[in-house]
Amino acid sequence: MEIRPILSALLRNRTGALLVGLQVAITLAVIANAFFIIASRLEKIRRPTGIDTPNLIFAESEGYAPDYEHAATLSSDLALLKGIAGVVAVTSTNSVPLSGGGSANNYHATPDPKAAPIAGNYFEVNADFIDAYGLTLVAGRAFRAEEFTPVPANNDLPPVLILTETMAKTAFGAEPALGKRLYDENGKSGEVIGIVSDMQGSWLGNTRPGPQDLVFHPNGGFGKTWRYVIRVRPGERDRLLPQIEKALNGSGHGRAIIWVRPHEYWLTRTFRADRRMVVFLSTLVILMTAVTALGIIGLATFQVNARRKQIGTRRALGARRADIVRYFQLENGLLGAGGVVIGALLAYAASGWLTNAFQMPPLPPLYVLASALALLALGQLAVLWPARRAGAIDPAVATRTV
Amino acid sequence: MLDMQHIIKVYRTDLVETHALRDFSVTVAEGEFVAVTGPSGSGKTTFLNIAGLLETPDGGRYQLDGDDVGTLGDDARAGIRNQRIGFIFQGFNLIPDLDVFDNVDVPLRYRGFVTRDRRARIERSLELVGLAARMRHLPSQLSGGQQQRVAIARAIAGDPRFLLADEPTGNLDSLMARQIMDLLAEINRQGTTIVLVTHDPELARRAHRNIHVMDGQVTDLKPYAARGAAPDAAVA
Ligand SMILES: Nc1ncnc2c1ncn2[C@@H]1O[C@H](COP(=O)(O)OP(=O)(O)OP(=O)(O)O)[C@@H](O)[C@H]1O
Ligand SMILES: [Mg+2]
Repeated sequence: MEIRPILSALLRNRTGALLVGLQVAITLAVIANAFFIIASRLEKIRRPTGIDTPNLIFAESEGYAPDYEHAATLSSDLALLKGIAGVVAVTSTNSVPLSGGGSANNYHATPDPKAAPIAGNYFEVNADFIDAYGLTLVAGRAFRAEEFTPVPANNDLPPVLILTETMAKTAFGAEPALGKRLYDENGKSGEVIGIVSDMQGSWLGNTRPGPQDLVFHPNGGFGKTWRYVIRVRPGERDRLLPQIEKALNGSGHGRAIIWVRPHEYWLTRTFRADRRMVVFLSTLVILMTAVTALGIIGLATFQVNARRKQIGTRRALGARRADIVRYFQLENGLLGAGGVVIGALLAYAASGWLTNAFQMPPLPPLYVLASALALLALGQLAVLWPARRAGAIDPAVATRTV
Repeated sequence: MLDMQHIIKVYRTDLVETHALRDFSVTVAEGEFVAVTGPSGSGKTTFLNIAGLLETPDGGRYQLDGDDVGTLGDDARAGIRNQRIGFIFQGFNLIPDLDVFDNVDVPLRYRGFVTRDRRARIERSLELVGLAARMRHLPSQLSGGQQQRVAIARAIAGDPRFLLADEPTGNLDSLMARQIMDLLAEINRQGTTIVLVTHDPELARRAHRNIHVMDGQVTDLKPYAARGAAPDAAVA
């Protein structure tokens, strides 16, 4: 209602208004992008692993003795671990999900090796892996015990395979994957006998293979280093972990137990940088908004003090306290609106740079809008105290000050 | 229209208590032009501030148009200031960031008049003070006398029935002061009641009546006519 005179008064006292408006603009540009990055990182951290992470323990064994027997050790270990009270299921595995290390293969949907390769993150597991990881069987069947080969003779694809739902779609699209075959570079193939629920594979953030493009091979693998997944009853993990370590260490076989760790160990490690980024950016957001709020309070306080006589005169001419308070609120609103418009442009400029330099996805408008509204609300909150002080100025100031 | 009885006003600071008004009683009738004189510190501005509802008395009774206004709340007093009272200050008190038009507009906006009505009133009152051609000037681009005329336009734009002026010519030279007095006399002749505080006996003589304040009390109420001249003669 009284926007025009407020605006013209604002434009006649440009310097302070310009500085605070610019501060609002820069703050918006920074916090809109920061909120977007924070949200993406939190989404990554909180994405479900797809497996029973809180109740999983992983162990690594490495044979060193000249007479080390891999197949025998494997079956003895599996029996030993299953025998511990509180253990629900056990499988051997070649890698730890979300650890950043694992194995990948190029598969083909036809025997033709020139057909487009389909990247898959493969896990070598034994027949109990669905229970051991805490997955569910969506279609088909699980591996049978006799299909597990502790030490395969060669690198060929095993005759039976299980895929995650995502991998089934990646490899075969809308067609049902069950009963289809996947081929390797040598034309050897395995039949898809089962589909399991999705889980995160070895690497987050990969595209080829995607994080949930998993193929399970019923193999014990080569070499002398191997791992176990031990799923325990809920709440028993921390109690059982030392017990499992002790049992494995005491079982001989000419090998060493390299580590026994909860699955969360890898989650913490994998997401450490993301967590730090979230903390850093949140701190930055808090600091910048605090400084902006102080800037607004400072400018408004200065304006109120500089305009004491004018405010007293307005009161004398019939302004109520609320009119004076509203004057400063409107003034701040106009300043904020100007800052927010420039800030939105700056936010997109910054986002464009981040996209170019770091391949970040572009900033969704919602973040700019929400940050702009938050900043405008913050401005109103910040100006309230100086505005109230302005409202309390005595109308007698009009006649008492020269 | 203005009736003050036994008004008391005390200013308290940490060190001293100042009895600015003590048992101050005065009445002003509708249509009067009253000059308030008295030495510095005698309580003239205090009286004017209470009369204009800028300050509240610590004792006594104040009736404006028969309404007891001494006990009204802050918003109600702002409303009366806005609608019934016009103020003219020694320091003009124009808002430096607003041009002449917008300055005159200030009380009209608080009054809630529609744009067209406000524009008509602003133009009419600026016409009356002879500054219709300076509507888009800033106060800093005007002389003191012109600024005070803008302030007068602002005071009368809402057609108040009561005009209060505290040394309106105190910052002006005698020629400009005389122009301002002519203007006030003209406004008074059109029906507006005026109370004017002044140090200048020359100007005070042009009022219908003088109220002399001394030490927070009215000492002397002299109708102008008692000094041997008709009020209209002074106005001309
Ligand atoms: N806010 C205040 N606090 C303390 N004392 C005050 C205040 N305002 C006025 N006074 C005192 O009250 C007394 C009356 O002041 P007032 O301004 O009414 O005098 P005045 O007649 O208008 O004087 P002048 O002719 O110099 O303007 C003075 O002694 C003054 O110092
Ligand atoms: Mg005074």
